Amino acid sequence: MSRAQERIGAWIGWAFFADLASALALTFGYMFSRSVTMQYPDKEKWLPYARYRGHHFLKRDQEGEIKCVACELCARICPCDCIEVIPYQDDKGNRRPAKFEIDMARCLFCGLCEDACPADAIALGQQYEFSSFSSRDLVIGRDNLLGKPGKAATGGGVVAARLNTEQDVLVETSEPHGYNWWRNIRQT
Amino acid sequence: MELIVALGLIVFKVALLIAILLLLPLPLTWLERKIAGHIQQRMGPMRVGWHGLLQPVADGIKLLSKEDHIPAEADRFLFKLAPILALAPPFVVFVAIPFGETVSVLGAEITLYVSNMNVALLFVFAVIGLEVYGVIFGGWAANSKYAVLGSLRTCAQMISYEIPMGFAVIGVVMLAQSMSLLDIVRAQADVWNIVYQPVGFFVFFVAGLAEAQRIPFDLAEAEGDLGAGFHTEYSGIRFAFFMVSEYAIVLLVSVLVVILFFGGWNGVLVPLPPLLWFVLKVAFFIYLFIWFRFTFPRYRYDQLMAIGWKVLLPLSMANIIITGIVLF
Repeated sequence: MSRAQERIGAWIGWAFFADLASALALTFGYMFSRSVTMQYPDKEKWLPYARYRGHHFLKRDQEGEIKCVACELCARICPCDCIEVIPYQDDKGNRRPAKFEIDMARCLFCGLCEDACPADAIALGQQYEFSSFSSRDLVIGRDNLLGKPGKAATGGGVVAARLNTEQDVLVETSEPHGYNWWRNIRQT
Repeated sequence: MELIVALGLIVFKVALLIAILLLLPLPLTWLERKIAGHIQQRMGPMRVGWHGLLQPVADGIKLLSKEDHIPAEADRFLFKLAPILALAPPFVVFVAIPFGETVSVLGAEITLYVSNMNVALLFVFAVIGLEVYGVIFGGWAANSKYAVLGSLRTCAQMISYEIPMGFAVIGVVMLAQSMSLLDIVRAQADVWNIVYQPVGFFVFFVAGLAEAQRIPFDLAEAEGDLGAGFHTEYSGIRFAFFMVSEYAIVLLVSVLVVILFFGGWNGVLVPLPPLLWFVLKVAFFIYLFIWFRFTFPRYRYDQLMAIGWKVLLPLSMANIIITGIVLF
């Protein structure tokens, strides 16, 4: 097709609103495509990836003892100074933390404590729902940290969940694997 | 006795019409938000009722319970008058609009219109022209720069688009040899006017979009540059009045397009009840309005004026001349 013909074709298309029609067709197609909304916290919840840095947790060794040796390296490296460790000697003669407190209100989730730890005792886990009405409640102690969920095993998906407001506001889920959220994204 | 029955019937019809017009914005706002959401790959309202169906009711309660604020520097009388002036014309217009021929209820034939005026079309345009007063007063009385700019734009837009709109229907009147909407629909029993008057339909529909202040002609309430246009300063129930009148005009333009160009309640192929045909056609045009809103960007002010005066007006005049020559 010559350039003149192309130009005439473009003019005819312009006169009959070909551009507007193609726009309408596009939005019509989008209207019947899947919605990308994640219905959190009503129906769904995002499972983070294994690399996600959420709420800290303290690990135990095989005997069930806390791994932490209270070397205070995490407290040293912490850029916002939010970890406080006080060591003591337990009955086996090991150095263990008597007090291990993290002020979650100040933490910036950089993960440096995890990198610095020589005993592989502290890490940032998958939990991301720990908002509170009082910043005082965000100071988490040793026993609390031991009970926090660890790193995500699978992660990267949307699971069915339910908002529970009876005692505390909790988004509960029982599914271990989610569907891949990216499948809803329209590829054009 | 017959007089009382006839009067009672008219009062009942008017009451029903008002109730429908007042309640229709509720499903329409829900529909608009749902369609907007799905076009933008969202879900729209989901939390109040089944799929957010009760969201408009919640919004209505919210609007009713909000403070009815009048700005300190405002002209209080005009400020209070404007929403009513904006609300009344779309309601009055529906008196002249037929929704069908007759239905038989309990053996009695009941007409599906309040009155069959022989100048219905003229009445519609005359009354809808009054709509602009509500906008002018609302914008001026609020004493706010955004409101004044919005109302200035609205006035210019409404006045310049009413002319091609009025010209566009002359072709239809010529074909039907009547200004009564009932006769216009009856004249389309075999072939709809869209076949003979595609240009007239195009001009009327575009002018209708501008008249209803919908995208791509919603300069009056361009959120980006004017806040909310002429009703920037309104809140609570007065704001709701403006919203109701806006939806009533959307409905009115859809109804007029269907009556004038798409055969009213005349069906094709599928034998459905006439009233259902009418409702389906109107619903399609309302959907078209909403679909346009979330597809097109807004025209610039000079483009708006250029389209009105340099495109639609010559087109509608040419349409009149060609229709006249062909009929002659």
